[in-house]
Amino acid sequence: MKIAVCVKQVVSREWQLRVDESNTWIRDQDASYELNEPDAYALEEALRLKERHGGEVVVCSAGPARVSQVVREALARGADRALLVEDDRLVGADAFATASALAAALKDERCDLVLTGLQSDDSGFAQTGVVLAETLGLPHATIIMEVQVADGALRVKRELEGGWFQWIAMPMPAVLTIQSGINQLRYATLKGIMAAKKKDVKKVAAPDLAPQHEIVRLYFPEKAKATRLIDGAPADAAKELVRLLRDEARVIS
Amino acid sequence: MIETLIFWALCLGFAASFVVQVWRRLRLVARAPGRLGFDRPALRVRRFLRDVVFQSRTIAGRPLAGFAHALVFWGFVAFAGYSSTEFLYGLGLADLRRTPFFEAYAVALVPFATACLVGILYLLVRRVFARPAGLGDHVSMESVVIAIFIAALMITFLLRFGLADGSVAGRVNWWTHMLVILAFLALIPASKHLHLVLSPFTVLLKSPVLGTVPNLDFEKEEVGTETLKDLSRKQVLDAFTCVECGRCQDNCPAFGSGKVLNPKKLILDSQDALLEGALDRRVVEVYDEGVLWQCTTCGACESQCPVGIEHLPLIIGARRGLVSNGEAPDYLGNVYNQLERRGNIWGLTYEARQKFIESAGLEIFDAAKHEYLVWLGCAGAFEADFQKALRALFDILRACGVRFGVLARERCTGDVAKRSGNEYMFQELATQNIEDFRASGVTKILTSCPHCLKTIGDDYRRFGFDADVVHSSVLVAEITRGLEPNVATVEPVTFHDPCYLGRYAGHVDEPRELLERFGGSVREPDRTRTNPFCCGAGGGLLFEEKEEGTRISDVRFKQLQATGAGTVVTACPFCSIMLKGAQASAQADTEFVDLMAFVNGRLQKAADPSAGAPSASAGAAPPAAP
Ligand code: SF4
Ligand code: SF4
Repeated sequence: MKIAVCVKQVVSREWQLRVDESNTWIRDQDASYELNEPDAYALEEALRLKERHGGEVVVCSAGPARVSQVVREALARGADRALLVEDDRLVGADAFATASALAAALKDERCDLVLTGLQSDDSGFAQTGVVLAETLGLPHATIIMEVQVADGALRVKRELEGGWFQWIAMPMPAVLTIQSGINQLRYATLKGIMAAKKKDVKKVAAPDLAPQHEIVRLYFPEKAKATRLIDGAPADAAKELVRLLRDEARVIS
Repeated sequence: MIETLIFWALCLGFAASFVVQVWRRLRLVARAPGRLGFDRPALRVRRFLRDVVFQSRTIAGRPLAGFAHALVFWGFVAFAGYSSTEFLYGLGLADLRRTPFFEAYAVALVPFATACLVGILYLLVRRVFARPAGLGDHVSMESVVIAIFIAALMITFLLRFGLADGSVAGRVNWWTHMLVILAFLALIPASKHLHLVLSPFTVLLKSPVLGTVPNLDFEKEEVGTETLKDLSRKQVLDAFTCVECGRCQDNCPAFGSGKVLNPKKLILDSQDALLEGALDRRVVEVYDEGVLWQCTTCGACESQCPVGIEHLPLIIGARRGLVSNGEAPDYLGNVYNQLERRGNIWGLTYEARQKFIESAGLEIFDAAKHEYLVWLGCAGAFEADFQKALRALFDILRACGVRFGVLARERCTGDVAKRSGNEYMFQELATQNIEDFRASGVTKILTSCPHCLKTIGDDYRRFGFDADVVHSSVLVAEITRGLEPNVATVEPVTFHDPCYLGRYAGHVDEPRELLERFGGSVREPDRTRTNPFCCGAGGGLLFEEKEEGTRISDVRFKQLQATGAGTVVTACPFCSIMLKGAQASAQADTEFVDLMAFVNGRLQKAADPSAGAPSASAGAAPPAAP
């Protein structure tokens, strides 16, 4: 079974976020980066499927040169080889552009399964996997809690709202977006790190990137302190306070 | 003439058997990788004199048996010249026996022989009748034979004074004496008595610092001990030197709390497998299942072993082989991921550390302004109780006018990674921390965590980092020496020596000095000072939730409780976590207080006359407001 895992490099949670001069992106020159956590679970699921069913795990990432760090990390954990779409225009790219870059790398690979994390820890659209599936012309399912493969077909468990789950049968090949926490992540071993140095990382040229949206403004939540004094008789003022709390502040219903 | 020929034949035969058997073992030693260390020779020679010549380690752990052994040992050494002379005579090479010097020598040997005889008879009785647990379940026949041999040697020697040299009885006596020596020669190599030959070397070759586990060289693709053939030269030598005394077993907290791990068996299992020639056998097949993960790295085994065997490099080496292949237990895999992603053992973001720095009013270290860099460590960054202890330390430092700062950013020192066998993670953390230390220009580091003390103060030396690293108990004992605390009450307390402070660093007097000076009367628990019973946290076991047998921390807590002191003073964040856990499950009302909080509480009282009234719970004084 050939399984591709798409991984993203995101700004590390340790790093103090700052907005850049254009107010549309962060000042990322001195940022530290890490592997997007949901993608780590997707990678782990792929490695476990390979252990169970045999085959190959191909890790795939799209972004500027620095993303090779997370690709190495995935190789050290056990992915067999990598596809890397390296292009500076992918910094802060929208899900559509990223998905088309990943699709360019994956279209000739004929994978049985493509896994992505459910969403990214930075912009969090949860769209890359879905758009990728459409671009590749494959069926997809999202928020996956468990993957079973038998006789060339898939059975997957999805998480619904309110503590419900759903089992779906679907054909392969397919794209699945994996929910965080569904497995226990392995650690990078010394042997894995040594072996990763010798694994193949293939660079793939980015296709025409046609972003479908534009960030207009990026900002921290504005803390506004607005004190309003309600005049009138205590009984009326209390009524007015309840109305405001319910209809304007919406903290009660 | 015919006697001489027979003697020649016997000597050659027995000597050949000795050489063949020893050669078989030494060949395994010679083919093993790694160099034998001989750094700090003066220290090694001093230790050799103490532990081999004066037998102090043998005597210290078991005074009676140890002294009996010393008598036998000194007897053997004293007899070297005598036996050689008899051999020269027997082989017809030279007869020096008639010289007045030799006669005087023989007479001088009488007290040695008598003492040796008494010693060996005591040991024989102890082994056969008293049968201490550490020696194993059944009486070793071979040890009994050896003991009888030694007794026979001494008796035949003493008889020589009563028997005429040329008489038949005299000849029989001589022959008995010599045959016993020869038989001894044949028995030694395949028995624990090989320690007679090897232990002087293992003691000399033992690393000067407890728990020294050399760094792996990744350039050489070293990954740790995967199979027996990866055991280092010293480890193979160790395996053949074990005298099976069981001191390691008796002192091991894992064994003592009902786990399978037995450090003695670890050494003997290595020996058996080596002799079977199973060099390709994987470590998990050589040792009992799971034992490699039960060791807290407390160091008791290694520090108690009378013949210089180093268990920690063996255990950690084997862990490395497993970790490098992805075979660490799940709870450790989790910690490794936390270390990789967040740089600390709990996987938390460093915001909490930043908040602590702000609320405790700490300055960022500046070499021009500050004398000490206070290293907070993972516990200092995230653990609320330990932060209280650190606030107390900061109060004391300020009161004594010590200028200090902290690093803007820390990562875990890598203690858990190092001790649990993730050498790659350890080296990543260590090199990054050292880079930060160097950039800060620090020369003196102060820490309240004994694990950080060992890691920065010893392990980091191997990267060429040589700042002075001191534990808070040592510095505070020194800087408060001039102060006269106004303590009205004396409170009975007990002190739990952290393994990495008492056993590893040898700081046992400073904490007690502080306690006594600040109104504590110390009640010593069972297993104390340089040989404490571990709390169970070390070696990554802080994170193991399913402990086999009794919890180590429960065993220790009972020992502390048995002192009758209502207050337990700790000096390590991890001991504190473990023992408080044990206290909670025992539902005991014992109070815990960190040494720094204890001292600071009494100092505050001394400084504040309005609080001069005696108070029974002064030791548990709350931390000063930030
Ligand atoms: S270091 Fe401590 S826990 Fe480990 S084997 Fe030795 S005595 Fe036992
Ligand atoms: S390893 Fe050392 S302490 Fe343990 S049984 Fe052998 S000789 Fe004794």
